[in-house]
Amino acid sequence: MAAAEPLSGPDDLSDDEREAVEHLLYRLADDEFVVAERYTEWQVRAPTLESDLALANIAQDELGHARLWYDLLEDFGFDETDLVWERDSGQWRQSTLTELPFGEGDWADVAVRSYLYDVAEELRLDALADSSYARIRDRVGKIQSEEDYHREHAENWLDRLCEDEESRERVQDALDRLLPHALTIFAPTDEAVEDRIDELGLRTRSLVDMREEWLDTVVPYLESLGLSVDEVELPEQYDTHHENLEMPDEVGRDQSHTEAWDDLWSEFTNSYRELGRSEASTIMADPDDVE
Amino acid sequence: MIWEVFRQNQEGDYHTHCGNVHAPDRDMALMFAEIQHARRKPTNSLWVVPKEEIGEVDTEDAAFGGTTDKSYRWAQTYSFEAAAEEVAASESEQVEAERRRTPADGGDD
Repeated sequence: MAAAEPLSGPDDLSDDEREAVEHLLYRLADDEFVVAERYTEWQVRAPTLESDLALANIAQDELGHARLWYDLLEDFGFDETDLVWERDSGQWRQSTLTELPFGEGDWADVAVRSYLYDVAEELRLDALADSSYARIRDRVGKIQSEEDYHREHAENWLDRLCEDEESRERVQDALDRLLPHALTIFAPTDEAVEDRIDELGLRTRSLVDMREEWLDTVVPYLESLGLSVDEVELPEQYDTHHENLEMPDEVGRDQSHTEAWDDLWSEFTNSYRELGRSEASTIMADPDDVE
Repeated sequence: MIWEVFRQNQEGDYHTHCGNVHAPDRDMALMFAEIQHARRKPTNSLWVVPKEEIGEVDTEDAAFGGTTDKSYRWAQTYSFEAAAEEVAASESEQVEAERRRTPADGGDD
């Protein structure tokens, strides 16, 4: 993709440009926030103290990344209550992969979900490193440096869980359930707006392009562990372009969500409502004021 | 399996024992140690060592430093003039260490 003209700052964008930036930021921020919400459900319930701490730490990283992206939406006049605590559940754009509940005690789900997510995350961050919008571009590096651990963590678990037949079957079950939802990571919020995101150079690789590389990465790796992607509704030649991969009815990006999402949303906004709050407390410095 | 963890604050420092982690192998031990023992402390490097690989000898098995007078080991034993400041400081550290190593007989503490 040819390098696009640099975009101006948040105050000088045209309506179309601003809409594209907002869609892109909601994709990023909502994914990170919701996946972290789910990860924290394992706190004090993970298989060992060590795995508990590692996952909680990853959740904290992802919340920190969500904060960096929401902060860029605040450039457009929103505040934290608009973006998180008072935003209707039907307005969110996270991939359905991030919102699905974990099966009780299903640690294989954690390994599979975070692997599928973190490979995608790596690709999309790479595609933002040369974004035409400086406010996004400048925050990518900080996030990338925390992501290596996430992928390593997921792969370490998958490698080991797949050494044993019984646990490999549980990984397979999780994979069968999650892979279609993982494809929604690359679903468009709105075709026209996504095209504009590419044309404006906000992102230097298209969703389809990233999805193909993602498949070319995750499928061979999963197969090398003795897992099968045959059960999943993927086309035979997954390494070529496909416009019509089977996806769940709800894809998240277009604000359609699984049933589980409303429950999760009610849960994390519950205290805010119960306490009759109308604003969010600020305990940390604005990201722009921190080096 | 238990892995003992040693943390180095900054380059050049010793790696100091800081706790342990449960992990099935070295890679997982390093991965866990990174979070459990280095997420809140300044860290330049971590070592993990299988607990069972650590050899130990303790006061039940050994009389560390011997039991007889070893004051000939001290630098000033051979000195008949006023010592340099650094030598005096070093010796007073050694005297203090010696005092701690061999509690005085009949002490009431």
